[in-house]
Amino acid sequence: MDIIGLKFGLLLVWAFGIACLAALPRRTAFGDEPGGRAWLIGAGGLAGLFLATLWLRALSLAGIAFSAATIALPILAATLALGAWSYRRNRRAPGETDGTSARDTPGARMRGALAERGAAISGRALPARDRLLWRLLLAWLALRALLLLVEVATHPLFPWDAWTQWATKARVWYELGRIVPFERTDAWFAATGVTYFDAGPNYPGTVGLMQVLASNFLGRWDDTLMNLPFWMLAVAFAFAIYGALRAMEFTPTWALAGTWLVSSLPLANTHVALAGYADLPLAIYFCAAILACLRWLRTRELADAALALLLLAACPLLKIPGRIWALLAAPALLTGLLPRLGPRIVGAAYAATVFGLLLLAQTSPVIMGYHLHLEFAPDWEALANSFFLYDNWHLLWYGALAAAVLGRRQLLSPQVAPLTMVVAGGVIFVAFVLLFTNARNWLSDQSTVNRATLHMAPVVAIWMLAVFRAWTETLRVPAARPMPAAEEALPPPEPAPESAAPPAAAS
Amino acid sequence: MTADDAPPRPTRPLLALAAAIVVVLLGYLAFTVPASWFPSSTLKQWGVRDMTLPRGIGGAVNGEFIVSATDASGQAYVAIVTDLRARDYAAITWDARNVPADADVHFLWRTDYAPRKIFSEPVTVEAGRLLPVVLANDAGWLGHVTGIGLAIRGTLVQPFAISGVAAKPSGAVGILQDRAREWLGFERWKGTSINTIIGGDDVQQLPLPLLLAASIGIAGAAMLLWRRFRGSFGMADAALAIAIMFAASWFVLDARWTWNLARQAQATVAQYGGKDWRGKHLAAEDGPLFEFVEKARAEMPATPARIFVASEADYFRERAAFHLYPHNVYAEPRANTLPTSNLLKPGDWMLVYQRRGVQFDPTAGKLRWDGGAPVSAQLKLRGEGAALFLIQ
Repeated sequence: MDIIGLKFGLLLVWAFGIACLAALPRRTAFGDEPGGRAWLIGAGGLAGLFLATLWLRALSLAGIAFSAATIALPILAATLALGAWSYRRNRRAPGETDGTSARDTPGARMRGALAERGAAISGRALPARDRLLWRLLLAWLALRALLLLVEVATHPLFPWDAWTQWATKARVWYELGRIVPFERTDAWFAATGVTYFDAGPNYPGTVGLMQVLASNFLGRWDDTLMNLPFWMLAVAFAFAIYGALRAMEFTPTWALAGTWLVSSLPLANTHVALAGYADLPLAIYFCAAILACLRWLRTRELADAALALLLLAACPLLKIPGRIWALLAAPALLTGLLPRLGPRIVGAAYAATVFGLLLLAQTSPVIMGYHLHLEFAPDWEALANSFFLYDNWHLLWYGALAAAVLGRRQLLSPQVAPLTMVVAGGVIFVAFVLLFTNARNWLSDQSTVNRATLHMAPVVAIWMLAVFRAWTETLRVPAARPMPAAEEALPPPEPAPESAAPPAAAS
Repeated sequence: MTADDAPPRPTRPLLALAAAIVVVLLGYLAFTVPASWFPSSTLKQWGVRDMTLPRGIGGAVNGEFIVSATDASGQAYVAIVTDLRARDYAAITWDARNVPADADVHFLWRTDYAPRKIFSEPVTVEAGRLLPVVLANDAGWLGHVTGIGLAIRGTLVQPFAISGVAAKPSGAVGILQDRAREWLGFERWKGTSINTIIGGDDVQQLPLPLLLAASIGIAGAAMLLWRRFRGSFGMADAALAIAIMFAASWFVLDARWTWNLARQAQATVAQYGGKDWRGKHLAAEDGPLFEFVEKARAEMPATPARIFVASEADYFRERAAFHLYPHNVYAEPRANTLPTSNLLKPGDWMLVYQRRGVQFDPTAGKLRWDGGAPVSAQLKLRGEGAALFLIQ
């Protein structure tokens, strides 16, 4: 019974997120866009889980104890209300129904939609040459998901930080039925029992709240099954990746192959199987947030903007570096909104940052008593091991480097530039942390370098695909070379001319 | 990648990739085969029963030869009597684990060619393992080898284990088999898995990602050269061919990873499958600690109480703390220290697990630690190397 409660609860949270996204006002229905439904399902799962943790915060703030009822019933009510509202709105949408023919009855529409989905999932709708590959990829993804499910549902909480600083909060908050503060040593002694202590008292609580959520649905403390939300996040993320790649005009087969690349990163898989760290959730929410930003740049739908903001808000609430990662949406948006000026502004800011870092590495300024000298002593061997020799990333970094070289002329093309700016900013951030700070010790012993890199790895994988696609397109279509004089004479561009065009209706 | 793209037939790119892999492997073998590519001799192995320990402390335990300490002169020798022709065997490998990174380890051997002389070659330690010792070109590796051994100098901070020794002809096939074994070695979950995935054995002479990436590079370059001089296909076709080779290589790595994941899932189910939450913890690495903490929890009040955890090992201290929540636990995360006694108050608890320096006087009912001032306390529970006290 408890397992059923857990499954039902997590599915409810997932459905809640989908209902929230579906209820947001949109000009174009998700079902009318390539990959729209996959994006709705995937991003809905991510949004639902994060919103549910916000609900736990609200309950605690209101002094209402956590329980399956106080958590699930309001979410169920909201899901039903939002679902019904979006269903009625879609039914009334112009052009959807205009008569009483048998084809337009809800049952017929449902059957038609299911048949369409069935054809899409089974690959029947694809050309014969892609069908086998599609089915193999789906089977391979399903096998991985199954193996990860076995691991996450069987292995007790295992990795070190998971039980010294993340699940500690989950246990206390679940058992007490409310959020209580965790403090550093001095404050803990001063509080004489009011506050709690663990190895990371200042760390954000969202991961713990996800585990609290699962524990409440389960009805008991179980440090194995409470990690199922991690698996749910990974599966939802795969849906979201597929939907995002389809929206970026990748064909279904290419989009599924891209989903496989992102979903098969060994270190990401490990963080699902050995759940309990915040790095994978941060990577997932950051990547989904960036994809939502790109989606908004294309659609300018209020709903996409709201989703992007929600997913960005999750980043700092998951892990402290999430503050920096969330900020990296700004270069993407600036580049997308100002295709000509944006890359220059962002490029100048990045160049100034790099110059400043190098300057501080060469000098020893003291400002207000703070020594600002940065030690630049990278451990190149450890870096090579992490990125190129060990199997943390399969061939991701080889592929990213190759894509950057082959597609160097397309890095700042309108379709790719926003992602390029995010990746460049991420590389600068990770390089700063690993090469210029004490964190280099964690590079040498391989303890943190890969986890820090995991935050940006899914974005890098998608960027690699986008750059490669942009490069291959230039090989196929002879580049149009506008006359310099005519280019100068062109009127200033619209806010985002490249996004004004609707996504091509790929098969 | 749009709907118009017709993927090229994958046969040619895959053949090109396979050919490039062969080229890279041949190049690798050219640098690594120390003597004959196709030697006639076969592998020779020695097990734990063949090993003796003339100097140092240790012995055979559970199928492994454990060297736990050096002798008074700071040395330990592991010796094996052998009878092998030196020229037939190019390398010796010691299957060892937990070798301290800073250990001074030498491979020793004696021959019938110079029976009074003991030859020596340093052994590199990497990730707790001993790298193979290549002797084919060593001036002392002559005649019949009558004995081999391992010399360890200095203080051992931890015991290390040897499970076997092998003399290898190190021909091309043998080397490739060794590499394949490294790639397919079962990488089970360990404490560092959350940080790094090696991709097989801890130590690898030729990492599989490097081999595949180099092969893609060579095949891609060859394809571009072919196109430049023969021009039989377009650049777009070459790009898609590179994509196919990349995806195929990724799949090879992913298949290895998924296979490892399947083996791990099997091991996890074997250890924890069918057990409830408590059963899983009793079956875990810290089962005895969990059992003691469960007893301690039964002694403690139902409502959360302040409790201090003392243990010398960070692992036990933090694990005990985790098992004790939602009691209000204080465990110093990174140091084996306890707060001074004036910071404790009546009604607090203290759990001690495998820690020296904590003394309890039952007659006076006094508890003290690290030479500090004693506090009144009551012993509530006692276990092996463990105790629970209530501060009064």
